[in-house]
Amino acid sequence: MISLAGRDILHSWGKFVFTGFGLGLLIGVTLVMAGVYRGMVDDGKALLDNSGADLWVVQRDTLGPYAESSSISDDLYRTVLAMPGVAQAANVTYLTMQVRQGDNDVRAMVVGIIPGDAWGSPGWPPYLVDGRQITRGHYEAVADIAAGFRLGDEITIRRNRYRVVGLTRRMVSSSGDPMVFIPLKDAQEAQFLKDNEAILQNRRRTAANPAFNRPGQPDILDAVNASQASSTSVNAILVRLEPGADTEAVAQSIRRWKRLTVHTRAEMEDILIGKLIATSSKQIGMFLAILSVVSAAIVAFIIYSLTMDKIREIAVLKLIGTRNRTIAGMILQQALALGAIGFAVGKITATFTAPYFPKYVLLLSQDAITGFMAVLAICALASLIAIRMALKVDPAEAIGG
Amino acid sequence: MNITTMQRRKVALIAVLVILAVSLGYVALRSGPLAPVAVTTADVENRTLRPALFGVGTIDAERIYRVGPTFAGRVRRLTVNVGDRVVAGQLIGEMDPVDLDDRLAAQVSAVRGAETSVSEANARRAHAAAEADRYESLLEARATSEEVLAAKRQDLVVAEAAAATARSNLDRMRSDYAGLQSQRGNLRLVAPATGIVSLREVEPGAAVAGGQTVIEIIDPASLWVNVRFDQVSSAGLMAGLPARVQLRSRDGEVLRGRVLRIEPRADAVTEETLVKVVFDTLPVPLPPLGEYAEVTVDLAPLPDGPAVPNAAVRRQGDSIGVWRLEDGEPVFVPVTPGKSDLDGHVQILRGLSEGDTIIVYSERELSANSSISIVERIPGGTP
Amino acid sequence: MTSEGIRIEGLRKRYGEGDTAVDALKHVDMEVAPGEVVGLIGPSGSGKSTLLKSLGAVIDPTAGRMTLGGKVIYDDGWKVTDLRALRRDKIGFVFQAPYLIPFLDVVDNVALLPMLAGHSNAESRERALDLLTALDVHHRAAAMPSQLSGGEQQRVAIARGLINRPPVILADEPTAPLDSERAMAVMRILHEMAEKYQTAIIIVTHDEKIIPTFRRIYHIRDGITTEEAGEGKPIA
Repeated sequence: MISLAGRDILHSWGKFVFTGFGLGLLIGVTLVMAGVYRGMVDDGKALLDNSGADLWVVQRDTLGPYAESSSISDDLYRTVLAMPGVAQAANVTYLTMQVRQGDNDVRAMVVGIIPGDAWGSPGWPPYLVDGRQITRGHYEAVADIAAGFRLGDEITIRRNRYRVVGLTRRMVSSSGDPMVFIPLKDAQEAQFLKDNEAILQNRRRTAANPAFNRPGQPDILDAVNASQASSTSVNAILVRLEPGADTEAVAQSIRRWKRLTVHTRAEMEDILIGKLIATSSKQIGMFLAILSVVSAAIVAFIIYSLTMDKIREIAVLKLIGTRNRTIAGMILQQALALGAIGFAVGKITATFTAPYFPKYVLLLSQDAITGFMAVLAICALASLIAIRMALKVDPAEAIGG
Repeated sequence: MNITTMQRRKVALIAVLVILAVSLGYVALRSGPLAPVAVTTADVENRTLRPALFGVGTIDAERIYRVGPTFAGRVRRLTVNVGDRVVAGQLIGEMDPVDLDDRLAAQVSAVRGAETSVSEANARRAHAAAEADRYESLLEARATSEEVLAAKRQDLVVAEAAAATARSNLDRMRSDYAGLQSQRGNLRLVAPATGIVSLREVEPGAAVAGGQTVIEIIDPASLWVNVRFDQVSSAGLMAGLPARVQLRSRDGEVLRGRVLRIEPRADAVTEETLVKVVFDTLPVPLPPLGEYAEVTVDLAPLPDGPAVPNAAVRRQGDSIGVWRLEDGEPVFVPVTPGKSDLDGHVQILRGLSEGDTIIVYSERELSANSSISIVERIPGGTP
Repeated sequence: MTSEGIRIEGLRKRYGEGDTAVDALKHVDMEVAPGEVVGLIGPSGSGKSTLLKSLGAVIDPTAGRMTLGGKVIYDDGWKVTDLRALRRDKIGFVFQAPYLIPFLDVVDNVALLPMLAGHSNAESRERALDLLTALDVHHRAAAMPSQLSGGEQQRVAIARGLINRPPVILADEPTAPLDSERAMAVMRILHEMAEKYQTAIIIVTHDEKIIPTFRRIYHIRDGITTEEAGEGKPIA
């Protein structure tokens, strides 16, 4: 027995391949959508993994430092470092802001890290793709390539200029903004110090206040101005535990310092993925559902129209004695072949276009396999309508009037 | 035998399907989590590292003189402006004497009056002494009574006391006069040393409190940089080390200097060591006080030893180390890092030897069973 | 080869129920012997197509009896179960238009039926080629139907009708689109095949060109058939 489906495809291969490509693009878009969702979750996980921390110590009752703003004093890390089970405790600041380079502005998450010989300390980028880590205590930066900077570029953050000395990859915030690492003190100044105009206004206000501006005691005014211009806060303390330490026990003992909240890695993941990207993931879920329905409808329509084109031949086949099973099989095989071609085209298209998307698109093999099964299932279901049509054809129609 | 249409078509279709299948296979294996990680490698070299310390600071001066009146008054005139050079002892301004001149005149009269009183008291005393003498001789001649003599002696004592009082009154008047005179002297603002006027706080006619600065003078020869170094990275800082200063306003110009001293008191809040750096030759023109400067202090070069780029140093679990290539497979080797220089080279004290091939940059995090592919540079990095 | 051709006795076909019932076929008697070629002539509305459908085992009659190749296939309500297999194995169809499957080449168009019946591809194709040779179109064996002329296509259609060596062949206006020369060629082939394979052939037609060639003709009018002797003119 020859394959009727195969012969038909060979005969009108142009129509088939063209349709397959069209379907493939639709499937490709669906795969990319799924990849966007996976990418968002991966962004969140990358953020947590790259920080190298086991615990995040933040301002009391906040979900910070990523989901909510958190501000704690920068000398608290000393007391955290002294707690049993803590191997390293590092101050860190995070602020999403505009970073200028030349004429363009890039939205980036500026991370303040402790510079110097603090190898592998929490908050440091764990690997580089070019350049080196920060060695000077001021005015150097390591940027993610997603920001579009190159080695040697001068970038401006608030009032200071920094030279890009190193490049990283996949260091992004949970919303996909590239990270720029600068020394902690500069980051504190960038986050908590206001611009020159505001500082001047503050000085004027302080000078107008007679409590601070006493005649004959000029030092009070200077001292007040200096204290207003200093920044001694950070957003979080990243803690790395000693091997074998009990995460929950150490977290609990830090929590007893009533002014602080501690999140473990699992809790942070929950916060990031459960709260931060929950809305986006629902949106994407809806899109996926709609795309799947649309794809199914289109496949059904295509198979139906392909079958209708052959309706006379089907009548003849039935008349000359072809089994219903054979005819149904022909239609089903065609639907599945269409689905397979479409999926192949879609997967290849998705893989080659994924790097060009503004957000990170993560295409997993298991998604591809699930997608393949889904496409085949949808094609099979869609072919049912055409099969029903075909089987209802009266072979007598071939005989004519 | 001719190839029929059908057969041609079959071949074409199979070709297309094969291409599709191969592309799919390529896509599955070369991208995504199954793909090998691109890495760059380098060989460990023996280097002589020249470590340096980096800090930021502000221009300051050691000797800053704040000149002002010792008591409240009104500024009468100032003879210098900001930027003027002054010498020690030069008159730079004057306070308004107000009623001081009149009080001086009054005091002169008071002194004269006291002098006159002293003369008068002296005369009385002389007279009382002469009387006492006379009555003494009269008593010897039995021409008068003891009473009268006692009375005259009493007069003498009184007159002596009055003379003493008048003298001390004169002294007091004279001292008051001297005091007013020195006050008058204090109205003159005088430069305490040679230097440059850096601040002129108030204008003539303004009322100032005692102790308030009217003119500030700095000694330009005592210009230095107040530098802050992170305590974490300030090991090896010593007085006498050579330093390179770059002023914020003069990009590209490197001024040479040396570390004068390390302040005995560090900043506990910001965890910084405070250091004073002086210039070898004063920059011309003088930078303004408060200008930002970046200071690099060169430490003594370290002995030769294996060194790696600091991008190669990573953390795996709890140890710091480097990924070394052994038979083409990456193996994590814990190392003990030593000092580093400002260009990103780190000494390796233990763990690696010269000639080892290590992984410097990687596209992703590495693990023990990552498959790697060695490239010239990671795509996305600077070309 | 089976004998006995096809025999129909008292066939009736009623559509509908009760008062609105219509008898498309009232009383049909037909008998065609193996090797015989008869004509079936009737105007439209005469029940011709209904008779064809009954003969083709496409519809069930209401009453009567049908015997095909010696076996009873319908007897007053009873009918053989697998009509489809019957059509495949016992009845050959030649339509007005060739109705070849456009995506199969000529050989496979003809070989399809034996393949459906379970014979191997090689054997089916060999049989098909034999028939195509007999019909003088074997030189087009590898071509697609769209590449053939009308006459060639019709011959291929005839080959398809014959391939399973059915005892009866139903031809519906096979010469309608053809000119007289081609029409005669088709008639010649049909006669040859009928003779060679002892097939009973019923040709529904109103083509004046070929009617004279029939020895026997059945007329159908208002659902009733009548037999008539034909001219029996030899085919040129």
